[in-house]
Amino acid sequence: MRYALAYPLTAALALSASAAFPQDLITRDRVGPADAPNVMTFRLTAFDLYSSDDATREFFEEKFLALMADYPDWRIETQLQTDNIGQEQARMLEQVRAGRGPDCAMIDSSQLGLFKAAGVLSPMNAHFTQAQIDDLFPFVRDGVSDAEGNVLAWWWFTSLQVLYRDTSLVPDAPATWDDLQAAALTTVEAGREGVLFNGGRWEGTAFDWLPNFWAQGGELVDADGRPVFNEGDNRDKMLAAINFYKDLVDSGAAPSRVTTIINYDEFNAAAAAGTAGLFIGGNWQYGQLRGTLPEDQFANWELSELPGPTADQRATGTGGWTIGAFSDDPTAVEICARMAYEIYATEGNAFQGLLPTSASIYDAYDTFEGPEYDAFAEALVNGVARPGVAIYPEISNQLQILLGDVLSGTATPEEALDAAAAAVDAAFERL
Amino acid sequence: MTPRIGDMLTYLAGIVLAALFLMPLLWLVSLSLRTPAEVYLGAARFIPEAPTLDNFRLILTDRAFGTYLWNAVKLCALGALGAVAVATPAAYAASRFTFRGKGPLMVGILMVQMISPLVVIIPLYRYLDRLGLLESHASVIAVYMAIGVPLSVWLIKVGFDAIPAALEEAAAIDGCNRAEILLRITLPLAAPALASAFILNMIMGWSQFLVPFILLTRDGQLPIAVAIYNFAGSSSASTTQLLAAACLVAVVPALAAFLALQRLIVRAIMAGAVKG
Amino acid sequence: MTGDRRIWLWFAPVLVVLGGVFLIPVADVIRFSFSDATLLRPITGYGLDGYASAYGDSSLPVILRNTGLFTLLSVVSLQAVGLAIALLLVRGDRRGLYGMGLLRTIVLAAWVIPGIANGLIWQMLLSEAPFGAVNSLLRLIGLAPVAWLSDPDNAMLSAVIANVWQGSAFSMIVFYAARRAVDPVLYEAAAVDGASPTAQFLFITIPQMRGAILVNTILVTIQTLNTFDTILALTGGGPGRATEVLSLNIFNRVFYSYDLGGGSALAVLLLAISMMLTLVYLAVLMRRGAR
Repeated sequence: MRYALAYPLTAALALSASAAFPQDLITRDRVGPADAPNVMTFRLTAFDLYSSDDATREFFEEKFLALMADYPDWRIETQLQTDNIGQEQARMLEQVRAGRGPDCAMIDSSQLGLFKAAGVLSPMNAHFTQAQIDDLFPFVRDGVSDAEGNVLAWWWFTSLQVLYRDTSLVPDAPATWDDLQAAALTTVEAGREGVLFNGGRWEGTAFDWLPNFWAQGGELVDADGRPVFNEGDNRDKMLAAINFYKDLVDSGAAPSRVTTIINYDEFNAAAAAGTAGLFIGGNWQYGQLRGTLPEDQFANWELSELPGPTADQRATGTGGWTIGAFSDDPTAVEICARMAYEIYATEGNAFQGLLPTSASIYDAYDTFEGPEYDAFAEALVNGVARPGVAIYPEISNQLQILLGDVLSGTATPEEALDAAAAAVDAAFERL
Repeated sequence: MTPRIGDMLTYLAGIVLAALFLMPLLWLVSLSLRTPAEVYLGAARFIPEAPTLDNFRLILTDRAFGTYLWNAVKLCALGALGAVAVATPAAYAASRFTFRGKGPLMVGILMVQMISPLVVIIPLYRYLDRLGLLESHASVIAVYMAIGVPLSVWLIKVGFDAIPAALEEAAAIDGCNRAEILLRITLPLAAPALASAFILNMIMGWSQFLVPFILLTRDGQLPIAVAIYNFAGSSSASTTQLLAAACLVAVVPALAAFLALQRLIVRAIMAGAVKG
Repeated sequence: MTGDRRIWLWFAPVLVVLGGVFLIPVADVIRFSFSDATLLRPITGYGLDGYASAYGDSSLPVILRNTGLFTLLSVVSLQAVGLAIALLLVRGDRRGLYGMGLLRTIVLAAWVIPGIANGLIWQMLLSEAPFGAVNSLLRLIGLAPVAWLSDPDNAMLSAVIANVWQGSAFSMIVFYAARRAVDPVLYEAAAVDGASPTAQFLFITIPQMRGAILVNTILVTIQTLNTFDTILALTGGGPGRATEVLSLNIFNRVFYSYDLGGGSALAVLLLAISMMLTLVYLAVLMRRGAR
């Protein structure tokens, strides 16, 4: 009644997208019967059950209903999580510590370490076969396991950075930093913007730049999780990677506006406007380009592994999301684990075209047969995950500041690096 | 300068200002009319080649959108009403009485305005958790009230200050007591100030993100400012166009409330002017 | 005429609401600022480390400079623009001109647009890509494009522009109400005396609105000091730290470094700055008024 008064127009027009399903079994914030005696909460991102794309939402609704048919006296209450990852995870941590966290939640892979360290995740071992666990890519298995070999979360898809290029100007994939600079300058001569990359104040900047450090074997933290990126060899590797970006901007191979880029969509826009020659972006952008560019223009775009200091030294950063359980209830943990594997890691990935985290899943679905997936698989061999430690977000923050200061000419690489290391050390002391 | 020329200049300045304020909004409108493919063109295209109203249709037919809007209206209106209600007696006393400690008290109230939600949100969360008041609209309304009170006290005091004390003294001679004077004479005259305070509170609540974000978790409880991320979409298809449409629709109730109250303010001033 | 006891009754509701909501959380902020509190674990000890680390941070001078610049530019522009629109509206209303409601609505819409849209809009407007909206316009009229966001100084200016666009409505409403409350007899008398519009503005409008201007200055200053979402959406505080203000720094410290103690120590600083500015305003403007 109140609802109808508040929003008569909607009430009149209302055409529920989930009308195909029994109304009482699935709603915007619930899966399962409304009067089910057992409740578990699930905090998820807006990409599947909350998707604004009808087909995507219906696909996931169907999968969830099928799974919950096995648990007739349970219902899931869904809670939305916004795309501000840092703020979101801090909130969740605070809630979990107050005993008010969700029973099951999606956790960004870069933040998983935080929850592992806080000791709040319930082991899920019992719900996966050893074969399923062994099949995970090594960096994924390490990421989700604790020292005792417990599986604390399921990393259900991954992502990586690649170099996109317009092959009408750059026919061959640049393999080294020098190749990239030369190729970018060629595109500048042709009236393009050169190479674009994230350089503003956001996680993407640090994450997309770090492969240049990792490719040289650099390490952000030591085995105990202490920041060491400004010590010994690491310092030289840092400086080399910083200077690589600095040279790109100084030589005009990259425009100075890279320090303003805080969104991957900028690259799509530049590609569509015909001003981009090369850009460092995420694997998921290939599909976006296909949907945005006219066919003949799209045909020019190809992707390749990120260049390294030498052709043999390559790396790419792996991201993606995990699902973990905070509940003590064995059934809730079981539902959580089954959702992670049966809905998301397998069929969900195939439906959405996200990169699975184990080889057998790639083989199991036709989706992953395109040539771009071969390139992704090749690059994934050199995949490096961000360290799963609580200090990582601050390291990232300081790297963003460092790159911004260096690329805008506010500080020299050495000054900026020392300042970043000092700030990270101070923050580490306080953790 | 003749009034005619003055009018022309007023129009000219008005048009320039309106254009400056409108341009950014038009970009949002442009985004909201795009298909997913055109969204990626970003700043590269202003007028969509294939404009569509689908984004608005999708949002207006999403039942949950109505719930989120209603939640926002409820939280903001009750918070604003509560703030004005508790602020009015204090503002009146501050305007009409002299007493020891008044200056420090008024400055003290203003100091509370300086506490930003950002600063207290974590302790506030823990405090409300201890009281068992999390995840309720009542606690969010209480917080909105507290956030709005200092501003309300000061704005309403300024309103009371502008009402000549002579009017009240005349009523007192006629035998009215303090409460009657306040209710019959002063409050109606102060209506513009009360309404402005209400509007300001309401709209500031409308744009609050952090407080409901931290204090509420259940989907059905969320106000639109938080729930708007429901339309932020998926990684395989950017949904900026839906977000833009949702933002535009979300603006409408706040604007409607403002325009309705604006009329009230103007009418109250007219009434006051005739009497004066 | 009223006993001191009964005076407090008038203030009781306000004090109950403010005390009930804020007393304990604020006390906790102060307690946290003297502790090693983080979001990750319970407090293990108290001391001055939070202050030492937050105030000893080598970036603090830059952040304070940014905060000062951003606040000064924003407060002056917000009020100037708000006052200009308010006076324009009052004149338009008086003369029965068309479109005043529309102007008011547009300015207000900018204020109520959800914060997330702000970033979307201004990113596109100020984009330095060859196709960026404002730069394309500049090029169209033969001017050189501007490095709105990549140049550290311009980035600050851009943040102020976006903030003024969004926030002017507040001052507009306060000034509009105040200007409408000025007794028209004053202007009529002045007109009879042959006072020019400028003289009327200086000797009637401004003095009559002094109370509103004072309150608005304080409120707008406090709001600006606490604003960070516009900057976060536009530049994230960059490039480097060029647009990182104190409130954004606190946000980062708490939500990215999980350092509740250090963040609280800076929050106390932010509070102290707000209070100092307010007391200075009150002192200066009260004295000028008394003269």
